[in-house]
Amino acid sequence: MLVCEALSKTYPTDRGPVAALRGIDLEVKSGRYAAIIGRSGSGKSSLMAMIGGLSRPSGGRVLVAGTDLWALGSDARARFRARHIGYVFQFASLLPTLRALDNAALPLLLDGRGRGARARAAALLEELGLGAHLDAFPSELSAGEQRRVVIARALVSDPGLLLADEPTSDLDAQTEREIMGLLARVHRTRGTTLLLVTHSLALAAEAEQIIQVADGTLVP
Amino acid sequence: MDDARGPRFLLARLALQNLGRRRIRTALLVAAVALSCAIAFAGAVVMRSIETSMSVGFSRLGADLMVVSRDALTHLTAALLTVEPTDSTLPADLLASESLPGIARAAPQRVLRTSLSGAGGAGESVDLIGFDPSTDFTVQPWLAERLPRAIGAGDVIVGSARTVPLGSELVIFGAPFRVYGKLSSTGVGTHERGIFLTSQSLLGLSRAISERTGSLPPMLRPDRVSGFLLELASGARELQVRFSLLSHFAEIKVVAGASLLTGIRQGLSALMGGAVALVALMFGATAVMVGVLFSAIVSERRVELGLLQAIGARRRQIVGLTLLEAVLATGAGGLLGVAGGALLLRLFERSLVFHLTQMGVPFLWLERVDMALAAAACVVAAALVGIAGALFPAIRASRSDPYDLIRGEG
Repeated sequence: MLVCEALSKTYPTDRGPVAALRGIDLEVKSGRYAAIIGRSGSGKSSLMAMIGGLSRPSGGRVLVAGTDLWALGSDARARFRARHIGYVFQFASLLPTLRALDNAALPLLLDGRGRGARARAAALLEELGLGAHLDAFPSELSAGEQRRVVIARALVSDPGLLLADEPTSDLDAQTEREIMGLLARVHRTRGTTLLLVTHSLALAAEAEQIIQVADGTLVP
Repeated sequence: MDDARGPRFLLARLALQNLGRRRIRTALLVAAVALSCAIAFAGAVVMRSIETSMSVGFSRLGADLMVVSRDALTHLTAALLTVEPTDSTLPADLLASESLPGIARAAPQRVLRTSLSGAGGAGESVDLIGFDPSTDFTVQPWLAERLPRAIGAGDVIVGSARTVPLGSELVIFGAPFRVYGKLSSTGVGTHERGIFLTSQSLLGLSRAISERTGSLPPMLRPDRVSGFLLELASGARELQVRFSLLSHFAEIKVVAGASLLTGIRQGLSALMGGAVALVALMFGATAVMVGVLFSAIVSERRVELGLLQAIGARRRQIVGLTLLEAVLATGAGGLLGVAGGALLLRLFERSLVFHLTQMGVPFLWLERVDMALAAAACVVAAALVGIAGALFPAIRASRSDPYDLIRGEG
C-alpha cells in the first residue's frame, strides 16, 4: 500500500518560494496500476520523486508498505530504495561504461548483494528479450532496448513498487507501445504496484486508478 | 567482474571507467599534476641538495668568530677552521653559562701541539685537535673520504697533507687509532697537517701524555678548552656579538673571520627560503586548479550521480566514487611527475652539477633514502591535492536530493 498524507513541496526561487505541490493526500493499494496525469508543470513528476524517496517534501508523509520514507536516515532510505522501489526515468538512464548486464545488476551490486546479482539480471534481460545483448554497452543498443535494460534494472531487486516517470516520452510510437506493453505485463505477472506518470490520456486509460494533478493539487 | 567482490570493487571500476571516458581531459589533468609534481619533486631534491651543499660549503668557509683566551697568540687567517694551538685555555662551559643572542652554533675545540705523540715522523710537531662531532661545523664538512659509519672513540681524521690510508692504524701516544677519514685540502696549515679526534678520545690520552711530557697540558683538563668557533645566527651582526661577548667575559679575545663570507652565507640562506616558498605556492596553485576542475567534473556528472543515488548508492559511496576518481588521476599524475622529476634531476646532474664539479664546487645529492621519501611525499601530496580538490564538490553532491541531481540541479 502506498499512502501520501498532506504532501507538499515548495521550491525557493529568486522571485520567492514557488509551491509545486499543496497538501496531496492519496492512496494506491498494493498491486494496482495507477497513472498520475496532468499538464506539464502541474507537479506530477515532483509528486513521483517524493513518493520514490528522491526529493524531500516540504511537508507531509509518504508511506510505502507501512514505512515512512522521509523519516528514515539518508542511508536507510537509499537501502529502502534499492530493495523496495524500482525506477524507470524519462531519459535513457544507463551508465555508459557498463554492459547491459552490469547496468541491470547495479542496484544489487551497490546494495552489497552481489552474489548471484548477474545471474538474476541475465534472467530478467532474457525475459525482456535482450538475451543476445547481455554484453552490449548502452551505445550499442537501440532506444527501445536501452529502456528494456532500465526496466530490468528496476526489477532486479524484485521491488513491490515500480515508478515510471514518462518512460516513453523520447520513444517512437511503436517502441512506446512495446515498452508500455512490457510494463503492463510486469504489473500483471508479478503483481508489482505500478505508478506511471504520463501526460498521455491514452496511456493513462489503461491504468486501474487515475490520479490527476493540476496546479499542485489533486483534481477530485 | 565477480559478483561477490562487493560495491567497493564496483566503485573502483566505475571510477577508472569514468576517467577513461574523457581521455583527453583526464590526460590533461594528469599532465598538469605531473608537471607540478615533477617541478616540486625535482625542486625539493635540488633545493635540499643545494641546502646541504651550501651548509657544507658555508661550513667550509669557516667560523665567523673565534673565542680564545685573552693571553692566546693568534694568527689571522682567511678561514677560521680550528682554534689556535696555545696553552691559554677557557672554561669548557663558558658559553653555556650565559645566553647570548646572535650565536647560531658554538664548537669548542682542544688543540695540543706536540712533537712527542709518535704520530708522523720521529719528533714531528703534530696538532692534535679534539672536537665534539655533535657541535662541529668546521672539520667534518671538509671530509673528502670516510669510513661508512659515524665517527667514534678510537677514530681519527687526518689532514690532507698526511698520506696515511683510510682505515689504517695510527698510534698516538702509544694508543692505536683507526683512520676514519681524510680531509680535503683547505690551505690552512693546522687543518692540512692536523690529526682530529673526538674530545673524549683526546682526554682519554691525558695519562699517556702526562707520563710522556711530564705534565698535563691545560687544555686536557676536562673543564677547559682551547677555545670556541662561533657561527652567527641569521641577521646577527658580527660587531654586536663581539661586543656582547667582550662585555660578558673579561678573559677572552674575540677574533673575527672574513666578514664578507658571513654576509654571503646569510644572504644565500634567505634566498633559499624564498625559493622554497615559491615551490609551496606553485603546489597550492595546482590544488586550486584541481579543485576547480573537479567541481566542474562533479557538476557535469550530476545526473549520473543522482541516478546512482536513486538506485541505492549511499552518500559515502557517492563521495568515495568521486574521491577515488580524483585520487586515481592525481596519484597517477604524482607518479608520472616523480618519474619526470627524476629525468629533470638527471638532466641537472649532467649539466649544472657536472659544470660545478668541474669548477671544484662540491654538490652533495640528497641521500637515496631521503630522495625516495621525497618521491613518496610528492605522490601522496598529489593524491591529497586530488582529495582536497574533489572533497567539497563530492560532499555537496552526496547531500543533494537525487531528484535535484537528476534534473541537473544541486
